[in-house]
Amino acid sequence: MKHRWLTVLLMLSVVLAVAGAGLAAEKPVKVGFVYIMSGPFATYGQFAKQGAELAIDEINAAGGINGRKVEALFEDSTGKPDVGIRAIRKLVYENEVDVVMGIDSSGVASAVAPIMNELKTPLIITHAATPDVTGTNCNRYTFRVSLNINQNIAMAAKLAAKLKAKTWTTVGPDYSFGHQSWEYFQKYLSKQKPDAVFLPKEDVAFSPMATTDFSPYITKILNSKADGVLISLWGGNLIDFVRQASDMGFFDGKREVLMTLGAATEVLYALKDKMPENIWVGTRYWFAANDSPVNKAFVDAYMKRYNVYPSYNAHGAYAALKTYAAAAKKANSIDKEKIVAALEGLTIEVPVGKITIRAEDHQAITDGVWGQTAADPKMPIRTLKNLFHLPGDAITPPVEETGCKMK
Amino acid sequence: MEGFLANILNGLSWGMLLFLISMGLTTVFGVMGVLNFAHGSLFMLGSYLCMQFVRWSGSFWMGLVLGPPIVAALSILIERFLLRPIYGRDVSFQLLLTFGLMLFLDDGVRLIWGPAYHVVAPPAILSGVIPFFSQSYPVYRIFLVILGPLVGLGLWMFFTFTRWGKILRAAAMDRQMAEIVGVRVPILFTGVFAFGAWLAALGGALAAPHQSVGPAMGERIIIESFIVVVIGGMGSFPGAFVGALILGLLNSFGTTWIPDVQMALPYLFLAVILLTRPRGLFGGEA
Repeated sequence: MKHRWLTVLLMLSVVLAVAGAGLAAEKPVKVGFVYIMSGPFATYGQFAKQGAELAIDEINAAGGINGRKVEALFEDSTGKPDVGIRAIRKLVYENEVDVVMGIDSSGVASAVAPIMNELKTPLIITHAATPDVTGTNCNRYTFRVSLNINQNIAMAAKLAAKLKAKTWTTVGPDYSFGHQSWEYFQKYLSKQKPDAVFLPKEDVAFSPMATTDFSPYITKILNSKADGVLISLWGGNLIDFVRQASDMGFFDGKREVLMTLGAATEVLYALKDKMPENIWVGTRYWFAANDSPVNKAFVDAYMKRYNVYPSYNAHGAYAALKTYAAAAKKANSIDKEKIVAALEGLTIEVPVGKITIRAEDHQAITDGVWGQTAADPKMPIRTLKNLFHLPGDAITPPVEETGCKMK
Repeated sequence: MEGFLANILNGLSWGMLLFLISMGLTTVFGVMGVLNFAHGSLFMLGSYLCMQFVRWSGSFWMGLVLGPPIVAALSILIERFLLRPIYGRDVSFQLLLTFGLMLFLDDGVRLIWGPAYHVVAPPAILSGVIPFFSQSYPVYRIFLVILGPLVGLGLWMFFTFTRWGKILRAAAMDRQMAEIVGVRVPILFTGVFAFGAWLAALGGALAAPHQSVGPAMGERIIIESFIVVVIGGMGSFPGAFVGALILGLLNSFGTTWIPDVQMALPYLFLAVILLTRPRGLFGGEA
């Protein structure tokens, strides 16, 4: 008799424990992502989504964020600023997300960052590189975990200073990203190499995003007297440019070529052996740039799941989630204000290396890497050789130079 | 000088691709009165099918020959089951339908082939470069420059000398009259729509070695094709040829000479044409 009571009590306690755990498990942490999911740049959104899903599964398998499961919602910015704004408003007002991540394209970033103050929701930018959103246009809720234009172009200028080329020109997309890349390149390179010459505005080439025929731009550069070219095209534009430029003899070794986003795996997988060798290419993350256990684990898990090497955009989404999880742990809360406070000054190791989010402008101090394209029969895509690393401190301009006044 | 000549070739090769696409657009409009928003998507489909055949067979020519007829066959279904029921209705129905079709095809392509970019190599015989003064120029682009007028000539001969061509022109001029003299307009319409789709897909297949194949390539080209058709005159065949050449050359020389307004040039030119010759360069008085 006594025994039976004990069994009933035991069963009851088990039932209560399970129910109690169920009650304790609060509603999930909702993360809203805004990427380009359609149109000519859609691969970027696709890769970012893969990186995000990998991070979410890892976080959930390890017990979630502060014991709560993570749930993702994806929205398509189509690369257009007004669509991006609508997507973020929908995520915040309708889906009541706790944080927004993503943003490809500086045009979209410049448009959405200012509204974060009104939405009072943290935004972690993972790709868009315009310095404005952590500079003159910075605000309390906007953060960036990825390399920005200043950092990437600082590396390009350091490389350019070592190369033979004297007269530089550019081919870039005709919006803020292309123009700012060129502007900072001139600024940084002339500091290190005062005799560097830059072609005037009417002789450089800025192509609209919708361009598919780059031959007029290529002809223009071929017929200029420049012996160095900074290329800030990205995505489908860069693929079209590289193929058409190869055909027209652009990569004949007569000029030095720097591609600021040439090591994007989105581009390398599309071009395969059509990507010329020995070109200097930049990226925000290169999967083979470091041997840290964190990076190895990320690359292996990503490879196993998707059978491609992780792109910098996949890494950006992955790193943003890990950063957010660390901030939530530090704050022991996902309250939006507490997350903002916890993100400021946070240091965390992500696959690219240790990053620190600067409290004053919310830009991550992150290491940069460039390399030269090389053929490797064991690799499905062009790989990088002569890797050129610089630590985050060396390439990030001091806060005073960013023009950020936090509001 | 070599820059000038290179610009002419650049402009011509791009213009010839535009011509093929605009030709289908203007034929369908001229004969059927349908403004086909999905025309760019048929162009895109031509590119994707070409890519797929190249993957299977390793030969670009297979893609060029086999891809376009498949697109034409698909468009027969589109015409028969989607367009035909709404001919009698307001023109806005057609615009909505073809616009919806464009979204449907663009997303369908994404479902099948994914959002990634694809690259198609030109056939070996056309993949080299020829010396061009101190530089070099790709053979494939020269091929496009030569092919464009040849296709144009072929079409002109078809419309001028063949019975079917004459029937088409007659139907374009006066649909009712054509019906009265015994032309079977419904079959004619199906044929014309398929023919336009075939031209679009041919342009798409030819564009595949020239630009990356991706889901949004149709949206980009359809706008320029509309400008070509309006400049040349809606429904005019020589108009499409001249309009495409003008747009191609505006693109290449604008980039070199006045880069700041290059993007606006086609639209400025379009505005001037609409103000001075609202029916386009080769549009009839009607």
